[in-house]
Amino acid sequence: MAGAVPTYKLEFPYKRSLGPIVGAFLTGLRDRQVLGIRSAAGRVLVPPLEFDPETGEENLEWTRVGEAGVVRGFSWVEEPLPKHPLDRPFAWVLVQLDGADTNLVHVLDADSRAAVEIGMRVRIRWASETRGHMSDIACFEPEAG
Amino acid sequence: MAGSEPVSFMQQMVSLEYKLRASPVAVDFARRLCAGTITGHACPECGLVYTPPSGFCSICVVPTNTREHEVEIADRGTVTAFTIVNPIQYRGQKEREVYAVASILLDGASGTIGQQRLGDVDLDRVRMGMRVEAVWLPEEKRKDSAAMGAGLASAIHHWRPVDEPDTPLEEFAEHII
Repeated sequence: MAGAVPTYKLEFPYKRSLGPIVGAFLTGLRDRQVLGIRSAAGRVLVPPLEFDPETGEENLEWTRVGEAGVVRGFSWVEEPLPKHPLDRPFAWVLVQLDGADTNLVHVLDADSRAAVEIGMRVRIRWASETRGHMSDIACFEPEAG
Repeated sequence: MAGSEPVSFMQQMVSLEYKLRASPVAVDFARRLCAGTITGHACPECGLVYTPPSGFCSICVVPTNTREHEVEIADRGTVTAFTIVNPIQYRGQKEREVYAVASILLDGASGTIGQQRLGDVDLDRVRMGMRVEAVWLPEEKRKDSAAMGAGLASAIHHWRPVDEPDTPLEEFAEHII
């Protein structure tokens, strides 16, 4: 009683309102720059939050951070799934960008598991076209030299 | 699409893709449906007739998954409940006009089938107790779904009124939810 196993697809096309903070962050990415906010204690948060996590204060100062940084943690994906951002083995990474005090979750395009280590320097590879989305950062790649 | 306007919205597609292997009972039902017959399973203990069949009687907890349990059900029955739908034009909506769906108690079945499309009827004439019959899709349009365990809508386009007296309420009252 075999026969084809039908595939079903369920989709919800959302249009999300971003608000002033995430909106400004993604506007920055579209313009190929990474923005963070400075907390009252002077910590630079990337990605930005809508309020100071320690004091609850709003309307924090924007600051631009670097396009390169340091890997603070990672998880290697040997067999990517269809919806993963890369179609070859890659690492999910926590990157602390230069000038930032927090980590950003993104993707590292590395040759192998052995090529990834905590503390290594990585750099943004921008998407060929940016549109105001997290995927404007196509991925990170190991910094040359 | 680099622009100068601030980014204030983000498109996000939440998407789930999955495979569903139909049970042999569902495949069998779909094959018979494709050939133009609605089938059900009669419980050997209590006699209740289930359509579409599930392969067991959930009251008596006995299997009904062999040919001897199979019974043919009429493609004609009684509307026990209905809803008039005014389709909201959200993105992806394919319905344009107001329409009706109904629960139908088929002749020979012990329970209703739900979400059945009514057609060829003035919506203000739709009522509980109304007698209806299936308007089948042409046979060549049914075939694709046979092996997939598809439901009634894959073979029946809609249900239309038949010129018969309404079923008295007391004959289907227990099926109104």
